[in-house]
Amino acid sequence: MAAAIELIGITKRFPGVVANDSVNLVVEEGEIHAICGENGAGKSTLMKILYGMIQPDEGVMRVEGQEVRFASPLDAIAAGIGMVHQHFMLADQLTVLENVILGAEPTRSGGRIDFDSAEQEFRRVAEAYGLVVDPDDLVEELEVGERQRVEIIKVLFRGARILILDEPTAVLVPHEVEELFRNMRELKEEGSTLLFIDHKLDEVLAIADTITVLRDGKTVATVKPEEVTAHDLAELMVGSDLPTPEAGESTVRDEIALEVADLTVQDEDEREVVHSVSFQVHKGEVLGIAGVEGNGQAELIEALIGITPAASGRISMDGTDITNLSVRARRELGLGYIPQDRHREGLLLPSPLWENAALGHQTKPPYAKGIWIDRKGARERTEEIVAEFDVRTPGVDTPAHALSGGNQQKLIVGREMVAEPSVLIAGHPTRGIDVGAQAAVWDDIREARRAGMATLLVSADLDELIGLSDRIVVMLRGRLVATLDPKSVTPRELGAHMTGANGGADA
Amino acid sequence: MKRFGALPAYVRWPIYAFVAVFVLTVSQNLDGTDRLTSVTTAQSMLRWAVPILLAGLGGLYSERAGVVNIGLEGMMIVGTWMGAWGALKFGPWWGIVAALVGGALGGLLHAVATVSFGVDHIISGVAINILAPGLTRFLSSIVEIPGWSITQSPRVPGVGSATLPILAGGKIGGWTSPDLLGWIGRKDWFLVSDLADLAKGLVTRAPWVTIGALVFVPFTVWLLWRTRFGLRLRICGEYPAAGEVQGINVYKYKYIAVIISGALAGLGGAFIAGPELSGIYLEGQTQGRGFVGLAALIFGNWKPGGVMGASLLFGYPFGIGLRDLDGSASHALILVSAVGLGLVALSAFRRGRKADAGLALSLGALSVVWYLLSDSVESVWINIFPYVIVLLVLVFFAQRLRMPAADGEIYRRGEA
Repeated sequence: MAAAIELIGITKRFPGVVANDSVNLVVEEGEIHAICGENGAGKSTLMKILYGMIQPDEGVMRVEGQEVRFASPLDAIAAGIGMVHQHFMLADQLTVLENVILGAEPTRSGGRIDFDSAEQEFRRVAEAYGLVVDPDDLVEELEVGERQRVEIIKVLFRGARILILDEPTAVLVPHEVEELFRNMRELKEEGSTLLFIDHKLDEVLAIADTITVLRDGKTVATVKPEEVTAHDLAELMVGSDLPTPEAGESTVRDEIALEVADLTVQDEDEREVVHSVSFQVHKGEVLGIAGVEGNGQAELIEALIGITPAASGRISMDGTDITNLSVRARRELGLGYIPQDRHREGLLLPSPLWENAALGHQTKPPYAKGIWIDRKGARERTEEIVAEFDVRTPGVDTPAHALSGGNQQKLIVGREMVAEPSVLIAGHPTRGIDVGAQAAVWDDIREARRAGMATLLVSADLDELIGLSDRIVVMLRGRLVATLDPKSVTPRELGAHMTGANGGADA
Repeated sequence: MKRFGALPAYVRWPIYAFVAVFVLTVSQNLDGTDRLTSVTTAQSMLRWAVPILLAGLGGLYSERAGVVNIGLEGMMIVGTWMGAWGALKFGPWWGIVAALVGGALGGLLHAVATVSFGVDHIISGVAINILAPGLTRFLSSIVEIPGWSITQSPRVPGVGSATLPILAGGKIGGWTSPDLLGWIGRKDWFLVSDLADLAKGLVTRAPWVTIGALVFVPFTVWLLWRTRFGLRLRICGEYPAAGEVQGINVYKYKYIAVIISGALAGLGGAFIAGPELSGIYLEGQTQGRGFVGLAALIFGNWKPGGVMGASLLFGYPFGIGLRDLDGSASHALILVSAVGLGLVALSAFRRGRKADAGLALSLGALSVVWYLLSDSVESVWINIFPYVIVLLVLVFFAQRLRMPAADGEIYRRGEA
């Protein structure tokens, strides 16, 4: 029997980099095949080639024994390949059914969509694979896990036999991951072939039948999960040992750096999204905030930094009441901020690095002299940041969009750290960056913590939360529902608290 | 009991309309005029509403496909000229065709700029709005039709109108059917007669273009929400990348949508220049109706039925102003506005939006003061009043509306 997918010598060059360097890959029919590797190892490029989104410069692709050449995703779909994108390709204001049938609509005469037969087919596919979603819901009403199921149904609706899942677990909380894995096994039993990208090693070992590791655009190994340990895989991925977030010795001091008392925040529609939250962060302490996204963490951060006004309650920093201060006043008092969305809030993408480095500090030397921007001072400071925080860039006049995600994040972290903030608000500081950059960011936070900086860390990465925090509080539906000790809690327990699975009221 | 907001649209809208007519009736009885709910008022309202509706529907097609079309005004101006020219040169129906084509060409220009070349939608639209009057003036200077001057045309023939049988006394074959609504209207029953008069105005001597525009509303609902074409067009306005990965030609749908958009605006122009509204092409006669159409699109929450409701709402004060030589009807309208602002204040207060409630309340109070201290409205205010109402409506209602998610964003092929 021919393999479901066979890639021989696939090479793809982009200006300045070889993303895939004669990659060989064999995916057997009916298996779950994992592709592992650091960010930038070429996994996404390879998947895009397989789905026809980009074309390889060299190499041969065979699908079920047939040599293929995809000019667009349509060719891939026609060959029975479907892709579940990491960033869901779903329109929020359309219904689930509309999203699923888009591009493959069953129609009657006159271009009328045959919604009845569409819905029948939807239910048939959904039930066959045990995927539960209501076709009439608007996508915006769905949770992340449900959206992912919609994406999977969408692919199956088109008759795909080979499914590519691009980092499917990145956006899920632990119990959703288990649900996804159940779905994946079901798909496999029904005869589908699954190819998925992941860099969480325990997950890969739990679900995959075969694992292929990519490093620097090359396939370095294809192994069976029974034959290797997570440690072996890590070494294969990075070529050396994998860094982990370790907080090390406690550096917590007695002085309180950030105190929040009975803070309530409302959203634009004046619904309470943060309910009377109170906590303290000491100097030298990292307080981790865990929670499924959309439970008020984003609004809490915005209220702390001053983007959203507090509806009631009190925020004080180093003993000063900052509740009614502007964002700039708070920043000038020493509040550091790593925004959760670096593209929307952290950087001006078309602007040069030195302007980006000045953002948030534009009123103070060395970035400013009186009311004027000090270009020379700003450039020099940016060069220091680039050197000290290992931002890989041709120069400080390079526009920010030219940098990789990891380097952009290092610039943001460096920008905040050189200002030596007394309190740092960090929203998902290592989201979407590779292992190396991640380790660098962790080191930076640890170092500043030793110097007495208080950190509020919001993250969806449970290992990061457990590894870096001195204390973890769990946020659920706008309230703090539990305080946990990272030394004793497991990701599973943390996940249960985050979803309220254990009652959620033992705080 | 279910919350009012949870009722389906086809239940809520008649209730809104009923409340509105009720307020109008009470106000005019207080003021001692009958013009707020007369047959002619309803007709004037409709005459003003149709170009706004056509522009608004044009905006709907364009923005549902993700292209903001602020050039509707310019396309409408082209429509007025082309409509008059086509009608005089080849006959009334050709005027309609010429206006559709003229507007569509304006839409095509906008599509080329925004879709193919990625020009900012607002900039392209403004450019079209500047270009259009220059173009029509140039065309007027070279056109060879007797009586056509640089700024205006001779009388333009129209395509005629129809009256609904049975309800409003229209003819079926040679037989003149009964005029049911007219009969009720003459009875002077409180509220019932007022409703009948307004309804009769809507179905008596309704121009074919008006009928076409009104029929186009449900047609648009069907086209955009029940067909493959519509679904694909809407994905371009919501998440074009998602469409592209499913093999949908995003550029094609955007082009089609913007061209339809221009054609509808052009038709609105033909209505303005034709005997339906003016009966003559006159430079500058669109008077910003393209923009009011955009306002109707926003207030109508990017939905066909909503756009129609908004167009009628906006058309009403314009219609009142049209025949209000002594300013007495507009005077009664101040009272209506005061009541409206009071209702807005009440609803804003119940939702806890204190700033909104305060603003509405103080504006309402000012209206009451104005109403009590005057007997009529000066003519300059009669003309300004409708635009003020449009502004107020947008100020208070545009906050909770939602436009297509990718509206106004420049989409590049291969972004997926």
